[in-house]
Formats: sequence, structure tokens, C-alpha cells
Amino acid sequence: MKSLKNHISVIIPLFILLFSFQFVIIMDRVVENYQYKLFNDYSIVITSVGEINKERLKDAIPQIKSIEPISPNNILKEFKGNFSPANLAYLKSSLPKFYNVKLNIPPDKGELNEIKEKIKEIPNVSKVETFEKSYTKIYNLLLLVKKLSEVFATLIFIISVLLIFKQMEIWTLQHQERMYIMGLFGSPFWMKSAVLYKLVFTDSLISAITVSLIYYFLPKNASFQEEMRSLGIDFNFFKPIDDTSILILLSIVITIISVTIVILKQKTEIK
Amino acid sequence: MDKIIIHAQNLQLSYKKGEPIIKKSNLTIKKNEFVFVTGKSGSGKSTLIRSLYGELPVEKGSLTVCGIPLNNIKPQKLNILRKHIGVIFQDYKLIKEWTVEKNVMLPLMIAGYSKNVCTMQAHKLLKHVKLLHKADKYPLELSGGEQQRIAIARALAHNPILILADEPTGNLDEYSSEVIWDLLKGAHHHLGTTIVIVTHKIPSTLGINYKHYFLDGGIINEVS
Repeated sequence: MKSLKNHISVIIPLFILLFSFQFVIIMDRVVENYQYKLFNDYSIVITSVGEINKERLKDAIPQIKSIEPISPNNILKEFKGNFSPANLAYLKSSLPKFYNVKLNIPPDKGELNEIKEKIKEIPNVSKVETFEKSYTKIYNLLLLVKKLSEVFATLIFIISVLLIFKQMEIWTLQHQERMYIMGLFGSPFWMKSAVLYKLVFTDSLISAITVSLIYYFLPKNASFQEEMRSLGIDFNFFKPIDDTSILILLSIVITIISVTIVILKQKTEIK
Repeated sequence: MDKIIIHAQNLQLSYKKGEPIIKKSNLTIKKNEFVFVTGKSGSGKSTLIRSLYGELPVEKGSLTVCGIPLNNIKPQKLNILRKHIGVIFQDYKLIKEWTVEKNVMLPLMIAGYSKNVCTMQAHKLLKHVKLLHKADKYPLELSGGEQQRIAIARALAHNPILILADEPTGNLDEYSSEVIWDLLKGAHHHLGTTIVIVTHKIPSTLGINYKHYFLDGGIINEVS
């Protein structure tokens, strides 16, 4: 019972630490996914009476990533049966030029309007149309949640590490006599501390695997899936092998560093 | 010329700077000697023995044990020294979470012997101290005398050059004390182990030649 209590005292803070760490990772992925959508689900179409100097446009608006001309053939296709080829060629030459503009930032409404105004100032530009989907609000909300989760995760990290340290101190005190006696017969540091390292290794594995299982099975829940869909999150945000490996590695590193620091701190007493 | 196992020159030991427990003392113990260090309570007997296995640093002077100087000794070097020493304490210092067998195996495990060798040697020693039938018991299930016999078996397990004993019979009755003295005499006689015992009283019926030092006022005096 006492031993179980000792293990739980390490497993719980470690579990919370890893859970919050994984949450930050997932938030980062969700925001990244939204960013991708924002980049792709808007467009700026420019209508101009003549050719646009692309370089000039890029110089005037540094946020522009690419400017691609839109072929008028799709529009002219409609008239193919009614007009002679000569008339069609004339119509084509007299049509305005259309351009599709892509930006290197996901723009919000204000930025989009500002860019629109700047484009209008470019010679030959007669009209600018912007089309956007309303992802920005959710995106900003997610950015806020991401920032908050990072702050919480940092606080949780500090508190959890302090709790782990406390438990390591208790373990070290419990094993101090044994370590002292082993030291009297010339036992090296690693041998005296082997039991503690085995304990933290086991607890690290238990914590990391539990967190992984939760994140693995949670997205499979029907109501959770519904919630995610309503937020537009339609990708698998947990990578079982990669994430579990990182969680195991992180928990082992944290606990091994903690136990080593605590043992070294008490080294003079247990020599 | 006999090999010197312990050599102390102008040795000064203290727990607090400026308050020496052992003052400018000289001590030379040769191989295969059986040595008693006696003195009143608080005379520094345990302090002296603690310095001999490197638990208490040398404040002044020099101290060499088994050819290894103990002044400013590094932990790795201290571990090497301790692998050649067996220590016995008044309070036995057995690992209570371990079985009797595992306790005896400890110095052999540290020396890196295989499990089979450790088990065989532990059984041999447990048979020698007449406690083989208690190999699977835990120390707290044994009497004080039995625990001290286990401590002796453990101290002898790795065939040490030197055994340091701090009041080995301090907590035992007369019968158990006699058994302990016999075991220590046996180790000295059959294995040629140098034995240094700190005690407040030398047993009257020992029946062997021994060297006697008396600690008084922080000075080690040779009596015989």
C-alpha cells in the first residue's frame, strides 16, 4: 500500500505534466491546420484594363506571395457557338485582364481591406474582389487558447517538477540507509542508486503510456468527433508512434534528471 | 619486513574545526595483526575507526590504509579502498529490506562476481557462522547475536585485507559475544586478515596475541 502510494505520488504529477505538454502540441497542430485553411480558403481577384507589372505590385504590397493570371478561355467557351473565331479573338483582346493573388500571411478582414485599397492604387487596376471564409474568428480564438495553454503548461510543468522533486527526496531518504551501507563496501554511485532509477523508469513509462492512450482513444469518441467537426478540426491530431515516443522520452529525462539531482544533493550524507 | 596496513602520522581528526577529537597521533598496524583500540566513552574510538574507512576526512597529518592515502581521497579511489575492507558495527548495519543471503552477498556483488559465485560464497560463510538455515530470513527476524554473525559473514565475504570492527559485541550478551570473538579470531588465524577492533573492554579469555592501543585525551598510546 505504502509502495503504491509512493508510485502514485510520482505518476500523478508526471501524468499531468505530460498531459499538458501533449495538449500544447495538439493546440499547435490545430492552429497550424487552421492557418493552412486560411491560406487556401480566401482569394483576391484583380481586374485590370492592361497588363499589371507584377514586380511593382509585389514591391507595393510585400504580403503578396504570388500573382497568377486567370485565363479568359473559360468565359469565351460559352460564346464559341455564337461567334466566329475572328470575333472571339477580338472579344478576347478587348476583355480585361484577371489575376489571382495569394498572400504569405493568413489575412484578417482589416488586413484584407488594406491590401485591397493598396492594389486599387496600382495603375491599370479597375476592380479588386476579395472572397473569404469566416475562419479568422475561430483562428484567433484558437491562437488565444494556444497561448493560454502554453502559460498553463509552463505553470503545470513547474509545479509538477517540484512535486516530483519532493517525492524523489522522500524516496532517497527511504533508501538512504541502504545506499549508505552499500557505500561502506565500495559500491559505485550507479549501483547504490539503481533501485531509484528503476522506480522512476517504471513510473515514467506508466505515465507516458497512460497519456498516450487517452489521446489515442479520445478522438475515437463519437461526441468528441462531433465537437471537433463543428470546429472544423478534421484531421488526426495525435500521432501514436511519434507522440508516444516523445512522451516516454520526456518523462524519462525529467524523472532521471530529478532523481540524479536529489541523490547528488544528498551525496555527502550517503557517501 | 612486515607489510604496513595502516599508517598514521601526526593524525588529527575533528568534527568541528578547532575542536580535535584525535590530536597529532601516530599509529602503525602491520599485516596479520590483531589490534584492540580501547578508551573511555567519547575518547574518539569510533572517530578513529570512521577515519580508517574514509568516512571522516583527515584534518591534519597523514593517514594511509592498505597503501592508499586517505588525505583528500576521491570517491572512486575510496570505493577501491572499501572493496578491500570489511566493516562491522555495533548496530550491525544490515540492509533490512534484503534477505540474510543477499546481505552477505553485498560485497561480492559490488566486486562484480556472478550471481552463482555470490550465492556459493554466501552459503559457505553462512554455514561457517552457523546460520545457513536462516538464509531466506530478513535481518529483523533474527536476534542481535545472529545479526552480528551475519555482519561478520558479510565483512568476510570478499576476503578483505583488513576488518574494522566498531564495538562488535556492544549490544550482545556474554554467550553471543563469545561466538563473535571466536569468529573474528578464526578469520585472523585462518585467513590472515588484519583485524582492528574498537571496544571499551578487551575480553579476558581471548587466548591470542594482540596489540593494544589506548586512547586518552585524543592521543593514541600503545599499551602492548
